[in-house]
Amino acid sequence: MKLLVAFLVAVVLATETTNLSFAESTLEKIDKSGTFVVGTRTGSPPFAFVNKNNEWVGFSINLVEQGILPALSKKLNKQIKLEKKESTVPTRIPLLTSNAVDLIAETMTDTQVRREQVDFSLTFFITGAQFLVRKGSPVKGIQSIAGKRVAAQQGSTNAKILREKVPNAKLVEFQDQPAAFQALSQRQVDAYTNDGIQLAGLKAKAPKPDDWTVVGDFFSYDPYAMAMRKNDSDFRLVVNVGLMDAISSGLYFDLYEKWFGAKGEVPYPLTPENKRFLQLQVVPK
Amino acid sequence: MTYHFDWSTLWTGQSGGWLLQGVITTLQIFAVGLIIAIVLGICAGALRTVPIAPLRWLASSYVEFFRNVPLLVWMFFGYFSVPPLLPQAMQDWLFDHGAEFWAAVFALGVYHGARFSEVMRAGIQSIPKTQLEAALSTGLTVGQAYRLIIIPVALRLIIPPATNETVNLLKNSSVALTIGVAELTFQTRQIETYTAKAFEALAAGTVIYLALCLTIASIMARVERRVAIPGLIVQGHTGTS
Repeated sequence: MKLLVAFLVAVVLATETTNLSFAESTLEKIDKSGTFVVGTRTGSPPFAFVNKNNEWVGFSINLVEQGILPALSKKLNKQIKLEKKESTVPTRIPLLTSNAVDLIAETMTDTQVRREQVDFSLTFFITGAQFLVRKGSPVKGIQSIAGKRVAAQQGSTNAKILREKVPNAKLVEFQDQPAAFQALSQRQVDAYTNDGIQLAGLKAKAPKPDDWTVVGDFFSYDPYAMAMRKNDSDFRLVVNVGLMDAISSGLYFDLYEKWFGAKGEVPYPLTPENKRFLQLQVVPK
Repeated sequence: MTYHFDWSTLWTGQSGGWLLQGVITTLQIFAVGLIIAIVLGICAGALRTVPIAPLRWLASSYVEFFRNVPLLVWMFFGYFSVPPLLPQAMQDWLFDHGAEFWAAVFALGVYHGARFSEVMRAGIQSIPKTQLEAALSTGLTVGQAYRLIIIPVALRLIIPPATNETVNLLKNSSVALTIGVAELTFQTRQIETYTAKAFEALAAGTVIYLALCLTIASIMARVERRVAIPGLIVQGHTGTS
């Protein structure tokens, strides 16, 4: 027993004074293994989800496959294979920092606090937090959420902001979106908070979409970006160049139309100001 | 890529409070779950050995049904499948009064009750048959014989495997995080997502679970020494140091 305590104290002291350092950069890692590992969701339509034909598809996934992978293959001068791994809100940063994935391409909001832990690519989507409720629910937005039971994903920006803005709302945090939505379907909670576009996607894919409404003004600003390990500028440049090429060549807008257009999975028109914002992110060559 | 260790994140800000809340919730789940498991375990274990066939069958069905399905499935079952079957008024009351907690406790209780009943059965079956025969021949009924003689002796015999099951119950309380219970493992992940210090957060969780489990084991070892029946058990060096 005493030996165990002594060992633990030694571990704490040792780690206090050392920093673990892995010299290999992401580009070197991908070059050596020939595989580009991406963390993405399985239950967040239309960004990354498993469709009716059991295919793992989505807007974020397409952006990686058709925008970033070619840029990566060009930079490393060889064909790189893409491997997808599932990530969720609580697991995505640990997956990155433990080198299990090289890029998180899903529905991650770019925030200043998160920039202390990971680096972000350009913004590839703009949305904000809202609530999903049953049709006819008295909840109309953040002003009517006090005292109600609200589901959220553990570690999400929505959970954090709701906790700060409405401390007396009863927050129930789940590990992923399907569990939270199931709690909402079974009336275990009165509302589910997530980014507006994800709620729209969930509603569109629900067995009875008309039972649900997305309510409330955006109570947060959520720009989506892809996350990668810190201090890896070469890799970050490749990812950003891939995204910029996709925007300037029109590929981005074709994919946007495919997933968010009038005939897409989740109709969500691109406002002119958001389109301008995306285009202005493309710096000259 | 470098990782900077920062142990102070464990007590600065909200982390300390979260860890404390997590420990309290874990202990609450553990206590209530343990009571349910012990009651169910003793009943089912004893019933599996009585000479009355229907009771044996009932207890066997309970044990085989509940221990052969993963605990996680029982958690989801208790939280997502059971409430919709209840009357609306009960559902509303439940959701306002910690449905997650009770679903977790229910799942832990019945699952570990099934496992505990097997431990109990092993204990009862290791008692010589002559004990029961002697009890019955002094005029006791089967029920009285079990209550006054067999079960008290069996309980003393099964303390090592019972300690195992108790410690397992404490560790399995962490599965409750999947249905939204804010117990210790949930809180370590909360700290991890808010501070990004995965190593520190999980180390804290590890140390706390270790401390709780070692405490349980040492209490049980002391109990074992106290209640051992001289001459009945091969007495070596019992329990932990």
